[in-house]
Amino acid sequence: MKFGNLLKKELRELITKQAIISMAFTMVLLIVMGQIMGTAMEESFNTSTITICSRDDSEFTKDMLAEVEASNSAKLNYVDLISDDYAAELERLEIDNVVIIPDGYGDSITEKHTPAQIKFVSKMQSGGVTSSMTTISASEVIRTIQSVCTDEILLKKHGLTDEEVDLVREPMQLIEYTVNNSRISQVSASALASVTMMQSFIAPIVIFFLLMMAAQMIMTAISTEKIDKTLETLLSAPVSRMSVLGAKMVAAVISALMNAAFMAVGFVFYMQGMMGTAANELSASAEAAAEIGAAVNLGQAMTELGIALSPIDYVLFAFQLFFTVAIGLSISLILGAMATDVKSVQTLTMPIMIAVMIPFFITMFMDVNSMSPVFKLIVYAIPFTHTYMALTNIMNGDMIVYWAGLAYQIVFFAVCMFLAVKMFTTDRLFTMSFSAGNGRRAGKLSFGQSSPTKDK
Amino acid sequence: MPAVLEVKGLSKKYPKKDVFAADGVTFSVNEGEIFALIGPNGAGKTTTIRMISTLIQPTEGDAEVAGYSIVKSPDKVRENITYLPDEAGAYKTMTGIGYLEFMGGLFAKDRETLDKYIERGKAICGLGERLNDKIGGYSRGMIRKLLLARAVMTEPKLAVMDEATSGLDVINALEIRKMIKALAKEQNMAFLLSSHNMLEIEYVSDRVGIMTNGKLMEIGRIDELKEKYGAANLEEVFEKVVKEGGEL
Repeated sequence: MKFGNLLKKELRELITKQAIISMAFTMVLLIVMGQIMGTAMEESFNTSTITICSRDDSEFTKDMLAEVEASNSAKLNYVDLISDDYAAELERLEIDNVVIIPDGYGDSITEKHTPAQIKFVSKMQSGGVTSSMTTISASEVIRTIQSVCTDEILLKKHGLTDEEVDLVREPMQLIEYTVNNSRISQVSASALASVTMMQSFIAPIVIFFLLMMAAQMIMTAISTEKIDKTLETLLSAPVSRMSVLGAKMVAAVISALMNAAFMAVGFVFYMQGMMGTAANELSASAEAAAEIGAAVNLGQAMTELGIALSPIDYVLFAFQLFFTVAIGLSISLILGAMATDVKSVQTLTMPIMIAVMIPFFITMFMDVNSMSPVFKLIVYAIPFTHTYMALTNIMNGDMIVYWAGLAYQIVFFAVCMFLAVKMFTTDRLFTMSFSAGNGRRAGKLSFGQSSPTKDK
Repeated sequence: MPAVLEVKGLSKKYPKKDVFAADGVTFSVNEGEIFALIGPNGAGKTTTIRMISTLIQPTEGDAEVAGYSIVKSPDKVRENITYLPDEAGAYKTMTGIGYLEFMGGLFAKDRETLDKYIERGKAICGLGERLNDKIGGYSRGMIRKLLLARAVMTEPKLAVMDEATSGLDVINALEIRKMIKALAKEQNMAFLLSSHNMLEIEYVSDRVGIMTNGKLMEIGRIDELKEKYGAANLEEVFEKVVKEGGEL
């Protein structure tokens, strides 16, 4: 009953209306951002105008441009360039880009059967999302031109034989295989990466937010009690300190899980909003159709490569996630108990933030195994690293690395928890302090009497 | 009257400090008695009170509350005491009534007892309808009243109060002093107070203990001490004792 009473109190303190509104707002913001980005991309694809400067009067080029226009990829705007000073020409014509088809382009394909050059000149964009999308959609048009100019009917219409068509269309044939450990599957590594990206991208973000939220919550919970002097009243009541500690930790985990769930849902919708539009647009092209065809077999390929995650794999991941959060909570508990004021809480949050952020960025953007042994050791010494890498390790079958990471986390957690319990059940809870303010005591760690508990 | 609190040679030495914050403190508080610990800043009053409240552990000595040792049975001790720290706060996101319910829930064994505690708390704090408001919107005086109500609503054998009336205006402070006296007299509740307000101590206390440099220098009834030191009031007694202790 007493633990339930304590837990209820902690949850009420952490999961307030404001906290729920903030979580929901973040989620809605992500969803709306995904939708806005998706719509912007769609509009950009639909409304982009490509300027063409055709210096080739061949029938092949005329037919090709007619085909491009008919494909509705973009509106074509024809101009004449009077010089090769492209910067000045873009300025003069007040356009952002231009595709230059050189004289003899058609002949080089239909007569000489050799590659022909097309120039694409575009202004550097300002950096806004919509402007970068214009560049993306322009590139898409170039791909459409490429696709149209190798169209079998068009080529045959201009007198190419079957063999010549084959040569122009496919100068080489590519069959891709991907190997994972000793397993092999006929699948494109890039196609596989696009499917696994969601897993390897969303999981670290959820871990990151889960850790940050849980750490900050327990730190605030314990430091506020100490600063407001409610802790002394609470601990002089007939309730064990372990119950107080346990209630705070459980409440922080529940609250952090809620936060992470809101964040994950928002992020999934955000990605869907973005990726959905991109996939729809891509599916219009023949290349994309082939990609989608391949994706149908990706599930099978992932199973063949042993990287499809089973329910047991998710349980293994959950184990590491649990220990990561538990380590974060126990460290934060110790740090939070040192706080003497709001300023010191902010300062004390820094070590845990750094320890959470370093492996997050390293595992997201670098290959830990390719780092120097010293750096590798430092990164592996941070217990959170192992959870960021857990899914990858499980997918790749690096179970020795996984189990070693889990064992390390368990030992780390045991040490942290031992220290946290020792601190919470002894005088240190009241005597340990860290001052972040100005003056002589700034940044000083003390194990004597701290100012809020100073004897009178 | 049997003793509710027996303090026997209680000492506290903090790590890395050579001096004792409390040094062999010995005294007792009987049922229905109001005992006050007074002394200058750093005399060891709060350290002694916190040891008795089981918040920190003594380096040497022991104390018994209702027969239970603070060293061996701190859980049992906590069932028999309540502690009101100086400048204590309450949970700002809770309502006043929610706070009484939460704190009462930590003491009550069943719902019936809890309801009784809450009713007592409501009556003692006198906050009326404001009890339904969030504590975050309370004045300092209202918070102090709520905390005082919390400290006595569970009818502890010993209520330990550090600066019981700090933050209260004259009228409210007087009400609280009267309440403490009434609870001691009518319900046999024992009080261990600590205060810098000599007038308050002289008004409410049956006996006082004067501490300086961690030591309990003097102990006795206020009129006895006044006579012993030839002083007109407790303030003069305090000054003389502290001078003797080398503090002034």
